[in-house]
Amino acid sequence: MFEKCEGIVIRTIDYGETNKIVTIFTREWGKVAAMARGAKKPSSRLSSVTQMFTYGIYLIQKSRGVGSLQQGELLSTMRHIREDIFLTAYASYVVELTDKATEDRRPNPYLFELLLQTLTYMNEGLDAEVLTYIYEMKLLPAFGLYPKLDGCAVCGEKEGTFAFSIAQGGFLCHRCFEHDPHRIPMTPSVLKLLRLFYYVDLSRIGQIAVKQETKQQLQTIISAYYDEYSGLSLRTKRFLQQLHTLKGEGGQI
Amino acid sequence: MYYPEPISKLIDSFMKLPGIGPKTAVRLAFFVLNMKEDVVLDFAKALVNAKRNLTYCSSCGHITDKDPCYICQDDKRDRSIICVVQDPKDVIAMEKMKEYNGLYHVLHGAISPMEGIGPEDIKIAELFRRLQDETVQEVILATNPNIEGEATAMYISRLLKPTGVKITRIAHGLPVGGDLEYADEVTLSKALEGRREL
Repeated sequence: MFEKCEGIVIRTIDYGETNKIVTIFTREWGKVAAMARGAKKPSSRLSSVTQMFTYGIYLIQKSRGVGSLQQGELLSTMRHIREDIFLTAYASYVVELTDKATEDRRPNPYLFELLLQTLTYMNEGLDAEVLTYIYEMKLLPAFGLYPKLDGCAVCGEKEGTFAFSIAQGGFLCHRCFEHDPHRIPMTPSVLKLLRLFYYVDLSRIGQIAVKQETKQQLQTIISAYYDEYSGLSLRTKRFLQQLHTLKGEGGQI
Repeated sequence: MYYPEPISKLIDSFMKLPGIGPKTAVRLAFFVLNMKEDVVLDFAKALVNAKRNLTYCSSCGHITDKDPCYICQDDKRDRSIICVVQDPKDVIAMEKMKEYNGLYHVLHGAISPMEGIGPEDIKIAELFRRLQDETVQEVILATNPNIEGEATAMYISRLLKPTGVKITRIAHGLPVGGDLEYADEVTLSKALEGRREL
């Protein structure tokens, strides 16, 4: 029995000479794996629909293990992402994070919509770095992480000067600074953005222009929080860092 | 163990090959038992020789038994063009075509964000070093037309632009014997971009 679903390809593994196993994050069933037979052949009609980040309608023969991908119809190939090395790196990180945050066959239409929107915005040329930070913040609950961002994590006070405390898991007001000597200082704009990214819907955030130093602070805080609590070590993240280092050194790429 | 030791060792050895499971390994092992002794000896020698005598060419990175490889040694080849490929198997594929007369550079992989393979993990620095020699005038990027191959081509082209060498990318388009209906928008638009007058 073939079943139809709407999904985004988030992982592909070569299998044998001409086959691929694709992991598709679907709106209907969550994450599913399917065998795409012959997808590595140049003339296969599955080769284009099984490329990474492809958004499409898929016809899958489901089974208890890995299903079989029968047909696919493209809705978007996310072409601009595939044509830019930085966008490819950011999008790869976003999909790998999604892969880690979800379990097989657990539908999560909210997360699907978020991933689709994030990739679509990246494809349309919005700032991929900021989009990645937004996605990271929005994905925290999927890992069971709920940082305290509506007030001080120790006293709950909403007024004052704030820093970010990894140990306390959220904002820290100036009255409670002694609770964490390793707190990360942040500007009011970083505070506002972290809240905005966490609470407000992506479609309502729209286009944001963020200064380079603000981005740097956001990156420090979000990375430190993920490193401490998520237990993830992602290859795509290391790749992103490597790319940024090379860009910083030579400035040629 | 159900089998005598020599044959069970042979079965275990066959099982180390990709795509060979226990049943196939048993079938192959029994086939070997029925082969003539000199054929088996040649087979064993071929295996050992391939492992012992093959090395990578110090210039282009292609697999070879002599360093530099036969392609790099060939004086009839055009030394002003280098074709950059991902894998030694790609060199063989290009050579089968018999229409390319330049040199090669094998990267031994492609930049892959998903696998965490960065520019420093493949032979890009070696390519850059080869270009210091001023005889090279064109670099053809013949990496695969997928995410990894595109990322690699993009990275190399950006890196080499300041050197002033002509950088070209192999054409993308419809495969011979393919079907227009099933081509994706990227392939179709690339095919349209690269159209030629007849």
